[in-house]
Amino acid sequence: MSDSAISTRIGEPVRRKEDLHFLTGKGVFSDDVSLPRQAYAVIARSPHAHARIRGIKTAATLAVPGVVMVLSGDDLRADGLKPIAHMPTSTHHAETALVNSDGSEIFTAPRYALAIDKVRNVGEAVAMIIADSVAAAKDGAEALEVDYEILPSVTATVAAAEPDAPRVWDEARSNVCMDAQVGDPEATETAFASAAHVVKLETWAQRVTGVTMEPRAAVCEFDAATQRYTLYTASGGAVRLKEDVAHVLGIASKAVRVVMEDMGGNFGTRGEVYPEFILVAWAARRAGRPVKWTCERSEAFVSDYQGRDLAVTAELALDAQGNFLAMRGSNIGNAGSHTVSFAPLKKGLGIMSSIYRVPAAHFRARSVVSNTMSTRPYRSAGRPEVIYVMERLIDLAARKGNFDRAEIRRRNLLSEAELPYTNQFHMTYDNGAYHKVMEEALTLANWQGFERRRIDARKRGKRRGIGVANYVDTSTGAPRERAEIIVHPEGKIDVVIGVTENGQGHETSFAQLITEWLGVPADDVRLIDGDTDIVKVGGGAHGGRGMRMASLVIWNASKQIIEKGTRIAARMLECDPSSIRFDSARFIVEGTQRTVGLFEVAAAAGQLKDLPDDLHGSLSACSEEIHHVASFPYGTHVCEVEVDPELGIVDIVGYTAVDDVGRAINPLLIHGQVHGGIAQGAGQALLEQCHYESETGQLLSGSLMDYALPRADNFPFFKTGISEVPSTTHPLGIRPAGESGTTPALGVVVNAVVDAVAEFGVRHIEMPMTPERVWRAINGKQPPSSVSTSR
Amino acid sequence: MPVVSMTVNGNSVSGEVEGRTLLVQFLREHLRLTGTHVGCDTSQCGCCTVHIDGKGMKSCSVLALACNGSSITTIEGVAVDGKLHPMQQAFHEHHGLQCGFCTPGMIMSALDMVRRKGNDLDEHTVREQLEGNLCRCTGYHNIVKAIQAGAAAMKGDATPATQHD
Repeated sequence: MSDSAISTRIGEPVRRKEDLHFLTGKGVFSDDVSLPRQAYAVIARSPHAHARIRGIKTAATLAVPGVVMVLSGDDLRADGLKPIAHMPTSTHHAETALVNSDGSEIFTAPRYALAIDKVRNVGEAVAMIIADSVAAAKDGAEALEVDYEILPSVTATVAAAEPDAPRVWDEARSNVCMDAQVGDPEATETAFASAAHVVKLETWAQRVTGVTMEPRAAVCEFDAATQRYTLYTASGGAVRLKEDVAHVLGIASKAVRVVMEDMGGNFGTRGEVYPEFILVAWAARRAGRPVKWTCERSEAFVSDYQGRDLAVTAELALDAQGNFLAMRGSNIGNAGSHTVSFAPLKKGLGIMSSIYRVPAAHFRARSVVSNTMSTRPYRSAGRPEVIYVMERLIDLAARKGNFDRAEIRRRNLLSEAELPYTNQFHMTYDNGAYHKVMEEALTLANWQGFERRRIDARKRGKRRGIGVANYVDTSTGAPRERAEIIVHPEGKIDVVIGVTENGQGHETSFAQLITEWLGVPADDVRLIDGDTDIVKVGGGAHGGRGMRMASLVIWNASKQIIEKGTRIAARMLECDPSSIRFDSARFIVEGTQRTVGLFEVAAAAGQLKDLPDDLHGSLSACSEEIHHVASFPYGTHVCEVEVDPELGIVDIVGYTAVDDVGRAINPLLIHGQVHGGIAQGAGQALLEQCHYESETGQLLSGSLMDYALPRADNFPFFKTGISEVPSTTHPLGIRPAGESGTTPALGVVVNAVVDAVAEFGVRHIEMPMTPERVWRAINGKQPPSSVSTSR
Repeated sequence: MPVVSMTVNGNSVSGEVEGRTLLVQFLREHLRLTGTHVGCDTSQCGCCTVHIDGKGMKSCSVLALACNGSSITTIEGVAVDGKLHPMQQAFHEHHGLQCGFCTPGMIMSALDMVRRKGNDLDEHTVREQLEGNLCRCTGYHNIVKAIQAGAAAMKGDATPATQHD
């Protein structure tokens, strides 16, 4: 198993250290943690999309053998629990905050861990039943009598924005809680007036959900002696979760300890506090014993934060040669029942024009509340939606103006000389070789040879299509991060950091940084990221911040280790510190054979009596940084599909990606991230949708029997290439890779399918491009209104 | 409550269970063998796949009592004396796992695939045969590569597909 014989430095495809325990069944996921005397919680959830709670009768529940307690919104209010501290408007320095164009305040909805007076989406938590077993708690939940007065509901995005739509919050003026504008309307109008070609797209990047393979779970114990809560669970960030739980309970954050071990997927879905995490803590205190809750999959479909859901009307204006002149339109994001996050709407809007030269633009951006589960960032929040819109507009323009699809992109793609470039949405891109990467992707995909493949497919009765999409991604996220490095004399190094591991392989890739800078093999590095009694500061894993932030603080702390170690080594070697250089874990006196090892120095730090205070004790160093600038990953994907024109079935037969990561720390892991990202994006393009029934607000895609998650036979092997143009906004040049696969995948898959069936007069197909939708498009048959999926 | 007895990873075990207790619950909650995972409630995800008398099965769809007298192998029983099975080694070598939650089920299904389809597995076969196992991290790319490589490595390897059949 040992990789110590091979290099574990930056750039090496090091096999993961974390694999061994997963491969042998020794992973510790949330539901694998159990505590002595624990009780089990089951959540009673709203069966209605919108209803007033007239009353809750608990007698029958309490009579069920094994049930120990029922907690409802009234209990929550009596105990003074506060609303959850979601921060929907929080904005990174590199982004532009959206404000209401009429100057009014943005509406944010208070969200309690249990519904107080009304329920506003199917699945909203209404009561918690605590029992000696899960089965008893379930029996108790079934016996609970909740008297609901059903209210009119609205789930669809455009419908929710209508003035006469059923009102989700009486406290708000309408369901539109944010209504902002960006850009220059006059310049845009002028450009459109002079355009030779204008194309328009009305579309909906549909609601999907993360479906992390591990359903959420949490167990909490309360220690009456110390008045401390210990919460075992998994989340996108341990420190933020600790603070969020403490806030709702109205206690100091040091009274909460969060312990996270392994996490079976995040993708943003698990990046924020959930009501159940608070409820188990509250219940543990009330019940006087640990309380555990484990989510079931069908429960996850109604209660996990959902993603995407952006309704767009967009137009692109071009001159006769195919130069882009301007774009305009309107984006409506569906926040769901509570305003958990406006980030997808804002982040998408910021890169609406992607990496193309668009001299004028004007967009309206609205966020609406609706009777659906709340949304928050899901793998590449907001960007896949708008890249999809832009790349569709370009293909529509190419068909309308008879431009070659690759050529029109080359014509409008920003050149290196134009970078850094501030787009019309106030985002400033760093640098990149956009043209070079696009050509590499086209070559890797054999774009030139496609027409022969199209003819071959036709002979087999198939229609083959190809699509290309460029993209840019914005990497921002929580700007504060901290790392502590401790060198142990016995030959091990600890790295304590607030970036959380959710499957990315940080135990390996962060250790590679230590190999590079301190010369210690990755196997001798231990990562500590999930216990808030040890990790005090740090922003978790989201927004492509993991390696970008971690590398900064690990780099700075490594330099301090070398600096401190040099001074100690100088004492040991009896020389001046300036004559010492550090190489491969050894301090060497220049021009001599005299050396001392890093771990010997660490031992000396604890033993030497006459060291200055800052050197005595353990050889350790801390770095805390606030990094306010964004990086912009970018790249080009090419997708090739075959469509069965009789059945409308789409097969992805080729998928090529070239993504710029600035500097590849571990290419093996980067390729893996891109593969998974492509599958999530292509899954949205072809298969997935959270389908709410418009009359009742019921979620019809409520299990893995109904929600079409991609399976192994939905894909071919992917061809992935890595480009490394160091980012000028990061000291080490790093751009994130985790969202690259997903960002262009929606657009490129739709472009390929539309290309395949364009001969039937098809100019666009909405996602998910199910066989029925493709067949209807080919045959010019609109869906009957009863089955149309309203956006 | 009735008592169920079975052999799990070579060890004789027994315990009192309710009639409704599933095999996966018996393994996870009674025996604390938490490597077998529960990822859904509709027998779709395959995270709970184990071997029952040598055959791959989803342990969420079998009652514990129905396994009385059976021999069960879980992910914890695949490596012997700390040495990874060639299929486990292939998942490591080909980066066939990210978050690791689907991994035990994937490996148990892969071993069953080799038992049924042999050591020379083409891409199409592997993808078709993975119908019952879901992964959200890898796009299946490296899982398919790992299973092909693992199956090939098992050819001539003395380690049987399941240790305790």
